[in-house]
Amino acid sequence: MRTDVARLDLHNRRHLTSAYTIGMALYMLVIVVLYPSFRHSSELNSLSSGKLAALFGVSGPLTSPAGWVNANAYTNFLPLIMLLLTIGYGAAAIAGQDDDETLGLLVVLPLARHGILTQKITAMIAQALVLIVVVAACVYVGRGFELALDPWNVATASLAVLWLGIDLGLIALTVGAVTGSRGSAIGVATAIAAVSYLISTLAPIVSWVRPLRFASLFYWSVGNNQLADGAGLASFAVLAGVAALTGFTANVAFRRLDVR
Amino acid sequence: MPAAIEASGLTKVFGETAAVDGLDLRVEQGQVFGFLGPNGAGKTTTIRVLLDLYHPSAGSVSVLGLDSVRDSVAIHARCGYLPGDLELYPRMTGQRVLDWFARARGGDDTAFRSELVERFDVTLDRHVHELSKGNRQKIGLVLAFMHRPELLVLDEPTSGLDPLMQDEFHRLLRETTAEGRTVFLSSHELDEVQRVADRVAIIKDGQLVVTGSVEALRRQAPQTIELHFRAPVAAGAFEGLDGVQRVTVDGNRVSLQAAGELAPLLRVIADHDPVELVTRHADLDELFLTYYRDTPSTDAD
Repeated sequence: MRTDVARLDLHNRRHLTSAYTIGMALYMLVIVVLYPSFRHSSELNSLSSGKLAALFGVSGPLTSPAGWVNANAYTNFLPLIMLLLTIGYGAAAIAGQDDDETLGLLVVLPLARHGILTQKITAMIAQALVLIVVVAACVYVGRGFELALDPWNVATASLAVLWLGIDLGLIALTVGAVTGSRGSAIGVATAIAAVSYLISTLAPIVSWVRPLRFASLFYWSVGNNQLADGAGLASFAVLAGVAALTGFTANVAFRRLDVR
Repeated sequence: MPAAIEASGLTKVFGETAAVDGLDLRVEQGQVFGFLGPNGAGKTTTIRVLLDLYHPSAGSVSVLGLDSVRDSVAIHARCGYLPGDLELYPRMTGQRVLDWFARARGGDDTAFRSELVERFDVTLDRHVHELSKGNRQKIGLVLAFMHRPELLVLDEPTSGLDPLMQDEFHRLLRETTAEGRTVFLSSHELDEVQRVADRVAIIKDGQLVVTGSVEALRRQAPQTIELHFRAPVAAGAFEGLDGVQRVTVDGNRVSLQAAGELAPLLRVIADHDPVELVTRHADLDELFLTYYRDTPSTDAD
């Protein structure tokens, strides 16, 4: 399999990916190191019972290891950084390069368009993978700071966040391939992410939103106590299904795209 | 031997606008083919359809005997392309750009690439965003030529190049066609096309208005006649004659353009006692302007 395009994109984005990853790692280490100071705080636990806490994706006791990591990273800040990375790349990979008029020289190489797309998706997964592996490693470091989480649950929950990033990155990629517009790609993917997040966070507290939670990518990724209970097969089936569907659509759209 | 390029009824529509409208074009192998037209005429759109960057709305194109859509990967392997608005990865050095594209193509002729770099005096050690337009264009030329493609599709190739580099480029074109390879050259530089092209086509509003060799087009186009009479002559003496246009009178000097049958014009000239008569065939820029007025599609051969 050719990897020139993927390696080029990874090289061109190495500073950005490194900055996101190092920043997130430092943040996670601070969260981990602070945990012993808060684990017995009943005051903190009282915050998690309110609707305001739910709006920030927090459920369950904040002083439990899963509650602490969820409230500070896995249900909000980590997905945000992951989506900045994947939506940003998804929008840049096709539409952004077309806007910059660098896509034409790529498309006239003796490479099939589906091959170029596959390499772009591979590059996106690689960037997201670096981020999530580093974050998961930081969570494992927490075992030395009384943050005892089940390794399997951390692994599956982290994998679910990775899939969330891939799905929304692919949506950005697809919208970019359909419209050729980087702005539309970012706008549509971000809007879907925002609505998805809202549904997932409001579902536990607003009765009419509750049935909609199954349509939320956040619910399948981080909104169903995945860090405490592990992400199940249903989560991965939905997240992988969305990725397959958007990947297929992106391929069809890119084959039809008029490239400048 | 198949044509290098053969388009039949090629149409590309954007919204309700036909950028290219029923274009029929044949480019034989081993020649420089000049493709002329002002901004918005459809030159770049045609090029992009040839290379499967744009999908045709109707019609068909074969490149080197292959279908432009179905066989695009095989065509790309045998073509070199220089876009009109060349954009390269700004944070890469020229060397890295050339290395990357060579590798992505599956290799190149390293010795020939080095020769091109030397001939065009390409700056390789600086980031692309630090380079002038001309220096970026030189990298684009090396990218297009370095794998010795059978067909080169060049959109405004000398844009930003100084006269020395333009001469070097023209030499490279001659070497390329001498090896039997083909160059499809889109340009605003009519002088340049006149110097290097074996055949030209002029496109207007997405349709070809004329195709032929430069010489045949010049023969067919009006020739300019400068006259010096012994006494002043009125413009009316020439106006109204068949094929005569653009009559300007300055005392006893007259300039006009004439096409077709010259005998009636020569009789009128003889009647007015001429002392000097100079004729010259139209340059390509005059030809271009002539064909850019309301001219039906013709073939000059």
